[in-house]
Amino acid sequence: MWVGIFCEITEFALLFAVFFIARAHHPEAFQAGPERLSLLAGTGYTLMLLTSGWCVARALHAMRRGDRRATVRWMLAGFVFGLGYPAIKIFELQRNFALGLDGSAGVFIVSYYYLTFTHLVHVFWGLLGMMWVIARTGLGAYTPEEHSGLEAFACYWHVTDMIWLMIFPLFYLLG
Amino acid sequence: MSPERKIDLAWLMLVLLSVGGAGIARSDANAVLVAVGVSLVMAIKLRLVCNYFLELHEAHPRIRRAVLAFCHGMPILVILTTAFGDTLSSLTGALLG
Repeated sequence: MWVGIFCEITEFALLFAVFFIARAHHPEAFQAGPERLSLLAGTGYTLMLLTSGWCVARALHAMRRGDRRATVRWMLAGFVFGLGYPAIKIFELQRNFALGLDGSAGVFIVSYYYLTFTHLVHVFWGLLGMMWVIARTGLGAYTPEEHSGLEAFACYWHVTDMIWLMIFPLFYLLG
Repeated sequence: MSPERKIDLAWLMLVLLSVGGAGIARSDANAVLVAVGVSLVMAIKLRLVCNYFLELHEAHPRIRRAVLAFCHGMPILVILTTAFGDTLSSLTGALLG
């Protein structure tokens, strides 16, 4: 589990390195960039992922004290908030394309798309994993003594959350 | 305080810091100061997630060090690349030809 997480942060570390080099070479584009994006959407993603992560953390604690029904409820809440991420993405993409912010809109927007789409793929894997873990929890596959699958998923989801906490200021806040 | 209560408070702090960080970024301060403020908020948020959500203290020490290096390195890199962007540009320009 932790090795997989190490691989994930290595992947994003490389992508962030490309971001910093592009930013150093095109400071004007990156300085003007955040104003082209929707801060409301960026804050919305952050709140959805943080709240989803909070629900997953609470689900893990519910499992540890043997409350399977509460675990399922917290996980379902986490899934609903997690779905908020792709939902906001659809609205943001519609807005961006309406403003002409596509792949030809300059180095800042291209960097934005490659990092956020890579992150979106990780969120999709996480949502699929969450469905699997909810089903397994509902079927009684986890116990307070043995719930390593739930723990592994929770770790993955929190790291995906952490990656977003780095992406958000880079693209939406730093001018 | 119960572990659940700590998680609730961590989440509340994360939400407040996310909104506060956006406020810092929209201020009229100079770019390096904004980068310092935003990086500080980023570092605190990452540490909160590591401590209260991820439970990083349970990971193998090497993995823990790697994750913490990543979490601490990112905010520092933001400040350094904002303050010394020209140097990074000339260094990478020379490397990339």
